[in-house]
Amino acid sequence: MSSLRQIAFYGKGGIGKSTTSQNTLAALAEMGHRILIVGCDPKADSTRLILHAKAQDTILSLAANAGSVEDLEIEEVMKVGYRDIRCVESGGPEPGVGCAGRGVITSINFLEENGAYEDIDYVSYDVLGDVVCGGFAMPIRENKAQEIYIVMSGEMMAMYAANNISKGILKYANSGGVRLGGLVCNERQTDKELELAEALAKKLGTTLIYFVPRDNIVQHAELRRMTVLEYAPESQQATHYRNLAVKIHANQGNGIIPTPITMDELEDMLMEHGIMKAVDESQIGKTAAELQAIA
Amino acid sequence: MPQSAEHVLDHFDLFRGPEYQQMLANKKKMFENPRDPAEVERVREWAKTPEYREKNFAREALTVNPAKACQPLGAVFAAVGFEQTIPFVHGSQGCVAYYRSHLSRHFKEPSSCVSSSMTEDAAVFGGLNNMIDGLANTYNMYKPKMIAVSTTCMAEVIGDDLNAFIKTSKEKGSVPAEYDVPFAHTPAFVGSHVTGYDNALKGIIEHFWDGKAGTTAKLERTANDKINFIGGFDGYTVGNMREVKRIFGLMGIDYTILADNSEVFDTPTDGEFRMYDGGTTLEEAADAINAKATISMQEYCTEKTLPLIAAHGQEVAAFNHPIGVSATDKFLMTLSRITGKPIPEELARERGRLVDAVADSSAHIHGKKFAIYGDPDLCLGLAGFLLELGAEPTHVLATNGSKAWAAKVQELFDSSPFGQNCHVYPGKDLWHMRSLLFTEPVDFLIGNTYGKYLERDTGTPLIRIGFPIFDRHHHHRYPVWGYQGGLNVLVWILDRIFESIDATTNVPAKSDYSFDIIR
Amino acid sequence: MSVSPTLSVAEIKDRNKALIEEVLKVYPEKTAKRRAKHLNVHQEGKPDCGVKSNIKSIPGVMTIRGCAYAGSKGVVWGPIKDMIHISHGPVGCGQYSWAARRNYYIGTTGIDTFVTMQFTSDFQEKDIVFGGDKKLAKIMDEIQELFPLNNGITVQSECPIGLIGDDIEAVSKAKSKEYDGKTIVPVRCEGFRGVSQSLGHHIANDAIRDWVFDKIAPDAAPRFEPTPYDVAIIGDYNIGGDAWSSRILLEEMGLRVIAQWSGDGSLAELEATPKAKLNVLHCYRSMNYISRHMEEKYGIPWCEYNFFGPSKIAESLRKIASYFDDKIKEGAEQVIAKYQPLMDAVIAKYRPRLEGKTVMLFVGGLRPRHVIGAYEDLGMEVVGTGYEFGHNDDYQRTAQHYVKDGTLIYDDVTGYEFEKFVEKIQPDLVGSGIKEKYVFQKMGVPFRQMHSWDYSGPYHGYDGFAIFARDMDMAINSPVWKMTKAPWKTEELPLLQAAE
Repeated sequence: MSSLRQIAFYGKGGIGKSTTSQNTLAALAEMGHRILIVGCDPKADSTRLILHAKAQDTILSLAANAGSVEDLEIEEVMKVGYRDIRCVESGGPEPGVGCAGRGVITSINFLEENGAYEDIDYVSYDVLGDVVCGGFAMPIRENKAQEIYIVMSGEMMAMYAANNISKGILKYANSGGVRLGGLVCNERQTDKELELAEALAKKLGTTLIYFVPRDNIVQHAELRRMTVLEYAPESQQATHYRNLAVKIHANQGNGIIPTPITMDELEDMLMEHGIMKAVDESQIGKTAAELQAIA
Repeated sequence: MPQSAEHVLDHFDLFRGPEYQQMLANKKKMFENPRDPAEVERVREWAKTPEYREKNFAREALTVNPAKACQPLGAVFAAVGFEQTIPFVHGSQGCVAYYRSHLSRHFKEPSSCVSSSMTEDAAVFGGLNNMIDGLANTYNMYKPKMIAVSTTCMAEVIGDDLNAFIKTSKEKGSVPAEYDVPFAHTPAFVGSHVTGYDNALKGIIEHFWDGKAGTTAKLERTANDKINFIGGFDGYTVGNMREVKRIFGLMGIDYTILADNSEVFDTPTDGEFRMYDGGTTLEEAADAINAKATISMQEYCTEKTLPLIAAHGQEVAAFNHPIGVSATDKFLMTLSRITGKPIPEELARERGRLVDAVADSSAHIHGKKFAIYGDPDLCLGLAGFLLELGAEPTHVLATNGSKAWAAKVQELFDSSPFGQNCHVYPGKDLWHMRSLLFTEPVDFLIGNTYGKYLERDTGTPLIRIGFPIFDRHHHHRYPVWGYQGGLNVLVWILDRIFESIDATTNVPAKSDYSFDIIR
Repeated sequence: MSVSPTLSVAEIKDRNKALIEEVLKVYPEKTAKRRAKHLNVHQEGKPDCGVKSNIKSIPGVMTIRGCAYAGSKGVVWGPIKDMIHISHGPVGCGQYSWAARRNYYIGTTGIDTFVTMQFTSDFQEKDIVFGGDKKLAKIMDEIQELFPLNNGITVQSECPIGLIGDDIEAVSKAKSKEYDGKTIVPVRCEGFRGVSQSLGHHIANDAIRDWVFDKIAPDAAPRFEPTPYDVAIIGDYNIGGDAWSSRILLEEMGLRVIAQWSGDGSLAELEATPKAKLNVLHCYRSMNYISRHMEEKYGIPWCEYNFFGPSKIAESLRKIASYFDDKIKEGAEQVIAKYQPLMDAVIAKYRPRLEGKTVMLFVGGLRPRHVIGAYEDLGMEVVGTGYEFGHNDDYQRTAQHYVKDGTLIYDDVTGYEFEKFVEKIQPDLVGSGIKEKYVFQKMGVPFRQMHSWDYSGPYHGYDGFAIFARDMDMAINSPVWKMTKAPWKTEELPLLQAAE
């Protein structure tokens, strides 16, 4: 187990987290590493580009059909895709029912007990938006992911989420040894995006390990349910993902315990960079009509 | 007025008097909106039919009168088998009140266990503070040598991380850094109490052998000639452990019993309350890594523990709650093979006495049909014994039995001519058993205390063997393992058979020609 | 054995205060501070017992308390005999509470009554992850199919239900509609709610209000002709037949009992209760909520009573009668007179054996105060008492009507405290629960379970008092307590005492 690298990608929903992670992992596979992807998002979309599939059968849905998770065999839940990357999806309930967090715990316990981590160099957890409850922190418990990579962008909500995830990491960092590996900025082409991402990384005590520029080729590849690495291996974008992969591979042991900031500090930072205007206290709580009357 | 100071009537008799009977009849008629008695009778009869059985067995969601409990009970049971160890259950406090009551009602003994008393705020924010405060309080108040942590379903649903919480608690000074706090996640919605036993024991062994959650170096195994022994979740732990120790003594085997709770569940009344008594010492638990082999008396209580032990280089052997001649033979011969020690003549004589007793009484048991329910291993042990008595274990049911268990029971049936018409029922409950007893009647039922409802409803005489036994006293102090244990089980079965014959042949001038003085 | 009779009240108070100081020393500072508020010595004339109550138990101290589920399923709802109570969640809660509380009832179990059965949804991991509502709906269908004579269903929520956000109300409503308005009651009594059983009682009371009372059609014809003498017994769980030996007295004095809450109770009785002229309330703690509600909504007065021991029974019969006309008042006197010879005989037989004996109690509900009178009728003295899940109004009632000056009071006592208190005070009898029983018996202290009546009972009413007196006598005067020390070790005793 000592040679096994366990990493996790966290980030706000819709940020391009799964796309970034799959492309990066494809690049790592290209470098000769044996990879296992563990999707920990009830949407189960963490492996589609590797498998060229809409959505893979999840551990939890298979377990529900079989009766219980004990009735499953590892072969039933693990699919092999591009460059022999092994893929499992935890899955989970439909929105609004059940407990998706518990599902993550169930799935990871199942994988460990059934030897899914054997003969693997990299396990990558792809985790839903935010560390909303104990279950979604499962991948950052002791003996799980050693480094967390937060995928973010220059959008305000993505930065909020990155800060929140850092809080989750901090909780487990002392007892479990999980570290923040760094931020990955997935370009949204917002104002001063690079500057902001770097500033946030600094506040959190980490670095922006890569800035992935926006390129339509990613969408083209996605339409074909492929990673850019596979769809257009010669493209510039594929090179970016390769660079990111190299950085992550070289980053082993360089993670830090993050220093999350308060909401006020975050807002101050945004204001510093002119993204957010200082709030005019006199306007708080006024309706449009009232404001018009004042004007 | 039937009550009197001279002869105080209990509830047994008091309410049968005319005053109360009249009152209760009137209550029913006037205020209870009772069902038509004819309708009640019709449904009562219908519930005995094959048609009802079919509907009953078609149940997919509802469980009625299950014969299993939840994981943390097993975790608590295992934890108290270690020297001066207090079980600490992380989660809602009501659960702990239940485990303690349940164990006390069976053993008629105190049962000490603490909770981290998580409430609504902990459900939202996680139970870290409860762990920090709880460990500190328990450590100071009850001076345990070890605190063994397990979880309730509440802590499991919200995903509390015991490893991280315990480390943080140590950093905050709740207990010293080097203090032993093994842990096990024991979600109540997975498996049953036997799973919890397994998880807790595995957690404790892992703690001592594999570097105490990354805080010390893992132990290196230097093989010695000792044998580790694991009893599993066993209502007869008090009698069984003593019997096993006696057998080890007779064979001259150096042994370690892991999770030996036979003393703490059988302390004397002599003016002193012993919160802790006996148990595997922590040194023994650590040293157990060096043993030559580990024997588990209950395979399904050690499904995870045994592979862990095997991975450390020991031979492991698992039995299924061995009861009777051949099961005990197998147990002793395995011991002998592993240790190289011969089976002493004294045990051979005990074996001969059990065979003698079986021969003396077999005519009364041979061909009788039995229904059995209980934990998976106990079912296998009892079914095996019945087969060698020439009886038929017609229905064998374990609510916490898996498909693999069912296959194993079937294999046992197939091994004996008396097993040809027998069936196994994994995952079923006592309401299923009720249908079985009505539609395919048997002569006797073997099960725990709750079997008395089946005895009442179906008229099948109950032989109480299992867990829990609440309504008979002290049977847990007798072994069911070893040849002596087999003799006990034989006698319990025979007693019930004879009582049953007497009870059906005692009507003067009607059936009492068979009311024999010699049987 | 007793120490207290030789001490003055002032000395007792000093000793008890010192005892409290001593036990608090074992705790870490923060815990000691919190526990100190729950321990006190009763001062005569004070409106309450001077302790904090109904607040969270401290982690890790070995509280004796249970949970909200225990309060709802185990206490309030469980005894309603013609309804099926689903323990909704993992298997354990229903298993440990299965038939353990001795709520007696008459009926054909499994056919038209279901109290001593364990119905559970036996949650598996997949039910947690995907939610349990569909399973619950199916369970209700299966119940209808296999137990067609059930008169209603309740859903007793265990911890996970609230945590995973299942909508048991929606399922209950839909199924009720599907089954022609069948009474189906969702109860949100998850074990993590509140601080003890107590919130479970309250939640269960509210569920009766919302899902039983509020569903009764206002114009529905009553099932019986009302009389001016209709009363309902509230808060008697018929443990060992308690409610029956109480009911008989009410009927003998001329009242008509139209409902029992909830021991040997039925849905029809719950529904009929708003027609009562008076609610007589035994366990105030667990059912004051619904009594207050009926007072507000239906104008039914309620009256607390105490049927432990002849003094309190007579007092209570007269108090209940005071709500009615002379016929009932005379009836009460006749009942008291009728049983006087029995009571005299019981006391004549047992008081000499029990006179001066001391008792320490720790129980739930009403018993930490209600049984004091019964002990006093036998010449015994309660020297320490406390509530598992009492509120301040319980301690007020205790202080104002029951305990003596200097009594040691311990709220939500911990295992450690209780053991130390008993060790030092050396009462002749301890009355508490199954978890405590064997601890004290090992110490050589006679013990009676005061939740289950130690599998005896009834203890309520005149008939019950005879059993109560006999049981206390057999506990205290059992020859076994003379054998706890091996005879060859007796010479050590004086040494031990000298050392103290």
